[in-house]
Amino acid sequence: MIKQYFTIAWRSLAKNKMFSLINIFGLAAGICFTIVIVAYCWLQLSVNRDLKNADHQYIIQSDWKDKNAGFDLATFGPLAMEMRRQYPELVKNYFRFDGVTSNVSKNNTAFRENIQIGDSQMIEMYGFKLLQGNPATAMREPFSAVITEKQAIKYFGRKDVLGESITIESFNGSKKEFRITGVMKTPPPNSVTFLNRDNDNQIFLPENTLSYFGRDLNTWQNQHIVGYLELQPGANAKRVGELMKVTLSSNISPDLASQVRPYLVKLTDYHLGKENASVKKMLYTLAFIALFILGMAIVNFINLSISKASERMREIGVRKVLGSSKAALIAQFLSESVLIVFISTVLSVGLYAFLRPYFNGVLNTELPEVFAYRPVQFFYLFVFALVLGIAAGIYPAFILSSLQSVDSLKGRLGSMQQNVLLRKALIILQFSTAAIVLSSALLISAQVDYFFSKDLGYNKDFIVTAQMPRNWNPEGIRKVEQLRDRFAELPIVQNATVSFEIPDGNISGSSIIYRFGQDSSQGIAAQILSVDKHYLDTYKIPLSAGLNIDNKAGSLLNQMVLNESACRALKLDPQQAAGQRLRLVGWGGFVGEIVGVTKDINFGPLQQKIAPQVYADVKTVNIYRFISIKLKAGNIPDEIQTLQNKWASLLPGTPFEYRFMDEMLAKTYETELQLKKAAYAATVLSIAIVLLGVIGLVAQNVSKRAREIGIRKVLGSSITGIITLFLKEFIVIIIIACLIACPIGYLIMHRWLSDYAYHVAINAVPFSISVGILLIVTIALIALQTFKTAIANPVKSIRTE
Amino acid sequence: MIRLEHIYKWINNGAARVFLLKDVSLTINEGEFVSIMGPSGSGKSTLLNVIGMLDQADEGNYFFFDDAVHQLKEKQRAKLYKKNIGFVFQAYHLIDELTVYENIETPLLYHDVPSAERKSLVADMLDRFQIVGKKDLFPSQLSGGQQQLVGIARALIIKPKIILADEPTGNLNSKQGEEIMELFSQLNQEQGVTIIQVTHSEKNAAYGSRIIQLLDGMIAEN
Repeated sequence: MIKQYFTIAWRSLAKNKMFSLINIFGLAAGICFTIVIVAYCWLQLSVNRDLKNADHQYIIQSDWKDKNAGFDLATFGPLAMEMRRQYPELVKNYFRFDGVTSNVSKNNTAFRENIQIGDSQMIEMYGFKLLQGNPATAMREPFSAVITEKQAIKYFGRKDVLGESITIESFNGSKKEFRITGVMKTPPPNSVTFLNRDNDNQIFLPENTLSYFGRDLNTWQNQHIVGYLELQPGANAKRVGELMKVTLSSNISPDLASQVRPYLVKLTDYHLGKENASVKKMLYTLAFIALFILGMAIVNFINLSISKASERMREIGVRKVLGSSKAALIAQFLSESVLIVFISTVLSVGLYAFLRPYFNGVLNTELPEVFAYRPVQFFYLFVFALVLGIAAGIYPAFILSSLQSVDSLKGRLGSMQQNVLLRKALIILQFSTAAIVLSSALLISAQVDYFFSKDLGYNKDFIVTAQMPRNWNPEGIRKVEQLRDRFAELPIVQNATVSFEIPDGNISGSSIIYRFGQDSSQGIAAQILSVDKHYLDTYKIPLSAGLNIDNKAGSLLNQMVLNESACRALKLDPQQAAGQRLRLVGWGGFVGEIVGVTKDINFGPLQQKIAPQVYADVKTVNIYRFISIKLKAGNIPDEIQTLQNKWASLLPGTPFEYRFMDEMLAKTYETELQLKKAAYAATVLSIAIVLLGVIGLVAQNVSKRAREIGIRKVLGSSITGIITLFLKEFIVIIIIACLIACPIGYLIMHRWLSDYAYHVAINAVPFSISVGILLIVTIALIALQTFKTAIANPVKSIRTE
Repeated sequence: MIRLEHIYKWINNGAARVFLLKDVSLTINEGEFVSIMGPSGSGKSTLLNVIGMLDQADEGNYFFFDDAVHQLKEKQRAKLYKKNIGFVFQAYHLIDELTVYENIETPLLYHDVPSAERKSLVADMLDRFQIVGKKDLFPSQLSGGQQQLVGIARALIIKPKIILADEPTGNLNSKQGEEIMELFSQLNQEQGVTIIQVTHSEKNAAYGSRIIQLLDGMIAEN
């Protein structure tokens, strides 16, 4: 019996080629998209799950009273170690690291690398695999290094590099050989070696090397350390968090201790929840999109199946007369839908293989290859196809099988008529979804454009940035300022500046500032930017009052410039601020004199409100990273080449890894750019599925109404008259769909945009555009399809009876 | 075998009630070959559908052997006709997607006949109607007469007690029609299959043992 079901299903598929193709392609597109999203979600959900004892691994986070006062993902240097020492019955192990960036070289290969300097138990604690080397001892000796296989290939061109050495530069420019004591197998996605985009670490140095970089993990003054704990089975993370607070309070100043609360986050939850749960939100968004697209494909299937019913009615009748039960007919129709879904699934796996590189780009990830999936995952896909087949087929099956046999033998639609309303509702649902997705995509890209076109308050054009070798002391500052002046002398260069921050949102740190004569309780949190006197000119940051740093002659105090937000927070009138003195908590607690006030600029991503900022003199703060060079307009590739040559002669052996400010900004908005691409992919897909559905329905409609068209033509209807006949039905549907879609789309986008402190206004434009596009495309499609029937000789179609 | 008592069937056309069958009482015994005749719209097909249990009377009693059909639930009725009645249609109503062989086999599938037995039954039937050579063709590749042969073979394969034929020769030319009618009377005489046919043609009606004339839903002559 089943065999006959499949035979007949196959033959009827082959007979109705267009119907089958539309169904199969629509479903395949939906299923392929679903596979991609599921694979992506699965990848994201498995982050940190492959670590040893993953269920007991935690990361220490800091909750600062004032968000600008410290990093939430860092903590105080010795905290993790102290917890293990004091509470061995609760804490099984700990790991801390300090992330630095420095120049790494081997012979002529030199790159700036993220380097992770941390406790030696890392490899064993997390169960990372070493291809070579002993996990227990690899990170014990000073000046040893563990690198990933990828880095081994990069620097040596091979993986067996145990005992070889690489050269790593310290921050004062000295260089030292590091012996390679371990080659790490590419670790599974995790938040230890890859904490976030800025901490994708592939070179690991033991903690005892830290002094070489002038850093210290074991001082409570250092609050920029990432700390991890492995708890004993049964230990309560909340209790450990409270104990951390106690330990912290007994080691740091009460002032600071009242500002911060350390707490533990399970590593298996950390990845999804980090950065305002951005990963989780993205997963939900994508899952919803996938669900809707799959839903649309199923709706197509249902609609086409039901509209085809009239053709199958006779068969249904005959089968009933021959003794088929209703259940047998349902089984038959279900086996048909299951067959179609299976064919679509096979096709979608092919599509997946073909489109994988594209989706890798959109999702910024590495989706597994088709053959990398385990058999059990294919089994899940099989089950999914089965369920989907039944879900798609069950409604048409019930409708078709419950037709009265006599009616269906005579080809009378009878009970079918009442389903027209439902089918229309389904099409409206499809069109609404397409309209929502399309208008959302338009708004997302408007917001993304806004990121790059908004007047950020400064000028980012033609600015090239590069990281300089570090030497963080007055001598080093003098040297780097000399280097800056060499670059500034170049005729192609308009201006050059040395600073720690560039306007990409990464700030070295914050501090409490308060007016001289008041005390710290009246202070405000402000971002401290370490810049030189050319910074404001290079980035064209306008002063609203006073002077630039270093321009006030004869001042003995450290000069600083505030932005207007800082003035407002300090209750200072910007025009009167100059001459006032400020004190900073931390940073050596220095006192500075305000010499000028700048306008507010968007220093970070537009999600954030502009924070109070202090431009402090690099000579006072003694830290820097970037040189920013503003080029004169001209032939950019030539100018870069000139810069490169200059760099090579001034800083031999240091890589010139430059970025345009535009690119740095683009990196800040990676998630949004990703979402924009995903939204467009979803738009193309949803419109394609809707149009496939329309083609199918119109085709069915045309064949069903062939006689009517013939009669109308004989009675004198024009070709446009006949095309309008078909258009009318769909135009009403589209208009209703848009009426539903616009408010929903508005609400969704309103919510999304409210995450951004600065965003585009939602107006009617994206909605009108999407309605317009849907209308035009649908009308064109229907007109094309019905044209043939409309010009056909009516004699033929009338004879069909 | 079949006993109809005061059968009424109507449709409501606005306020008016149009009778398709009006007080039809009729008894048909096993082994009869009955022809139902009458002008278009006289209710022939409706009567046949009622007898075939595809349609239900609005009023009246219908006994099939000892079963009171008018009291049965849809499922039981379906079971009853599935076992006892074979249908032959004017438009053949073969399933386009199935071959001759598969079309004849289909009712057996619905009767849960095991595979081996199905094969031999279908082979017998193909043999008997001399269409073995056509078993792998699709209905569209056959002439009308051949299609109707397949239709009859399909009706007979479940060994029904009665065959209901609604203008079985209506779409055929006279020679093909004669062959089908010959076949019917042969089935009736040699195997004792009860046959009820609806026909327009006096000539075809003459093959039967009894003629029922319908007019406006009533029996005019029996």
